[in-house]
Amino acid sequence: MSILLPAGMNGAAFDRALGDFRRAIGDPWVLSGEEDRQTYIDPYAMGDGLDHDCSAILAPGSVEEVQAIIRIANQHKTPLWPVSRGKNLGYGAASPKEKGNLILDLSRMNRILDVNEKQASCLIEPGVGYFDLFRHLRERNLPLWMSVPGNSWGSVIGNALDRGIGYTPYGDHCETLCGLEVVLPDGSLLRTGMGAMMGAKGWQSYKYGYGPGWDQMFMQSNLGVVVKAGLWLQPEPEMTAKITLALPRFDDAGWALDILCDLRRRDIIQHNIVFGSPVRAASTMSQRADWYTGPGALPDSISEQMMAKLGLGWWNAKISLFGDEGSVMAQVALIRRLFEPRLGGPLQFEVWKRGEPLEKSATGIPTTMGLQSVNWYGGRGGHLSFAPVLPQDGDMALAYAKKIKAYYEEVGQDYYASFTIGRRHINNVSLILYNRDEPEAVTRVDKLYRHLLKEAAASGFGEYRGHISYMDEVAATYDFADGALARLNSRVKAALDPNNILAPGRNGIGSRTHGGDRT
Amino acid sequence: MIRILAFVLGLILALALIAMPADAQGPAAPKSVNATPIATTALGAISYGAQSANPGEKLFGRKCAFCHIGPSTGKFMLARRVPKGQAELPDRRDLTADYVKAVVRNGLVNMPTFTRVELTDRELAQVADWLARKGRK
Ligand SMILES: Cc1cc2nc3c(=O)[nH]c(=O)nc-3n(C[C@H](O)[C@H](O)[C@H](O)COP(=O)(O)OP(=O)(O)OC[C@H]3O[C@@H](n4cnc5c(N)ncnc54)[C@H](O)[C@@H]3O)c2cc1C
Repeated sequence: MSILLPAGMNGAAFDRALGDFRRAIGDPWVLSGEEDRQTYIDPYAMGDGLDHDCSAILAPGSVEEVQAIIRIANQHKTPLWPVSRGKNLGYGAASPKEKGNLILDLSRMNRILDVNEKQASCLIEPGVGYFDLFRHLRERNLPLWMSVPGNSWGSVIGNALDRGIGYTPYGDHCETLCGLEVVLPDGSLLRTGMGAMMGAKGWQSYKYGYGPGWDQMFMQSNLGVVVKAGLWLQPEPEMTAKITLALPRFDDAGWALDILCDLRRRDIIQHNIVFGSPVRAASTMSQRADWYTGPGALPDSISEQMMAKLGLGWWNAKISLFGDEGSVMAQVALIRRLFEPRLGGPLQFEVWKRGEPLEKSATGIPTTMGLQSVNWYGGRGGHLSFAPVLPQDGDMALAYAKKIKAYYEEVGQDYYASFTIGRRHINNVSLILYNRDEPEAVTRVDKLYRHLLKEAAASGFGEYRGHISYMDEVAATYDFADGALARLNSRVKAALDPNNILAPGRNGIGSRTHGGDRT
Repeated sequence: MIRILAFVLGLILALALIAMPADAQGPAAPKSVNATPIATTALGAISYGAQSANPGEKLFGRKCAFCHIGPSTGKFMLARRVPKGQAELPDRRDLTADYVKAVVRNGLVNMPTFTRVELTDRELAQVADWLARKGRK
């Protein structure tokens, strides 16, 4: 059996640490065998995934156990990689950035501690998944709605801490958190916002508390382990209307982005709008070989066949409207006025009224159907995403997208992109599908990702979220004043976590060159 | 490592058998009578097994149904290689408990692995027994 040791530890020291962890949280919840470790390898790893293998897994059942683990980790200097449910597919799943970390798997802490129907909020633990919360709300028939990500297998808190997104008015997930409970790197406990007050009544009512607000410090970072969070839920509206706008030409992205971004800035459209190319839709209902078996990138003529057969446009934007009947109908009329003359036909919205089956509505219903897309090339598929932040300028976004498409074609990768429209930004998401067991594909994907990162940074666009294999590279593109942000991050990290036991290297903070040793 | 490799090879073999046309596997068994009615919608998949008295079926509903019932990726991929009408796992006639356990812990093509934290050995045994139709009519 192969054993992997955390960076800088010898076998005896590691055994002593494991012994202490076992005493703290119980034998069954300290997993160090190869077979258990193998179940934590990223299913989308590029290759075998052993470059991000962990040395063991710790699965605490309570806040006190998390605190005990952190204290022991400080004594033994064992680095921990916390995950809530660890389903960060496309970003490394549960795998640590640095080989040999112990994964701190919080998925056993999965209680929904409180749901406040009147105030439309709840308090949950990190192991609560989207499906769990959805079932909880539906079984009790509560008129509260959730936002869910395209892959809903993961954790509500984990996703929000990585600044994940969904596609309803509550889709900026990190902004729907209200009040965190955090175990700091020294093992002490903190509550943010109003929770900083003993016996606070408004912990889930107001985010900022008194003085500086630290919540953002725990997002995309390694400065604490979040063990509880408040979450705002959407009060069920009276009506929703939804439609997918199919834009026939690639260049339509320019004008359509400008109109949609304007509607988004004005809050007429209240959600993150996604706007995807043909492979996005085709890959959730078919495989590449169903369309094309030739070499190189999928030719445009094949994309056009897909469009014809599946009733798609080059870009397909799903739009939903939420509110009382009067405002939804007025918004429908506005969008028809704006788009019908350009698209040359009437737009049919699907309208839902309170009391009708939820499927008809625009609420977030958890799903994993999107995971089908990784089967595109066949074999054991994977998916990597590069999503730089652009300002809301249609021409600029279109010019960038054209450059990227040309590069996909140059390296022989099927073009698969989407635009996500946020409140003031556009993410031009480059999705990169591959068969992880095909070495040429892995090489191509790596080359493509590095090129995208360089190209975007040179244009002034930074990536919003990072895969474990590229965290340092992405961090290095945030280089104003010779890396002032990185220096600040390092100083805070050193002050709060002098032993660097929490997720070394997460988002480029506290990275070390040396990973673990295999024996 | 060798053990894992041998195991994966075994799985592939087992799969090859499963992928054979239905008529090569003997006569089709009668349709199940006491399984939860097949949910064809996304919402149906989410509440699959919620009312079941069988702990295996209940767990299947919570941990597996979202990829194996209704409009889902597991069903979609299986429909390409298993006999018609068996793309949803509860309808499969050929699953043994050991095979289910092996796939869950090792993954299969694009099915990710399940850890012993997400699904304990005891829970997995319940799901596997139920899928292998133990105690089902
Ligand atoms: C096809 C497909 C579609 C997808 N669609 C979307 C989408 O629409 N939107 C989206 O956002 N994502 C999407 N994803 C990416 C990803 O699968 C989801 O974001 C998923 O929710 C992340 O997994 P998780 O929630 O289990 O988080 P985790 O894996 O638990 O957490 C993510 C990271 O956050 C940190 N972290 C987690 N919990 C804690 C904690 N308690 N304390 C401190 N740090 C912590 C860790 O560094 C961890 O690695 C998609 C992926 C695929 C493959």
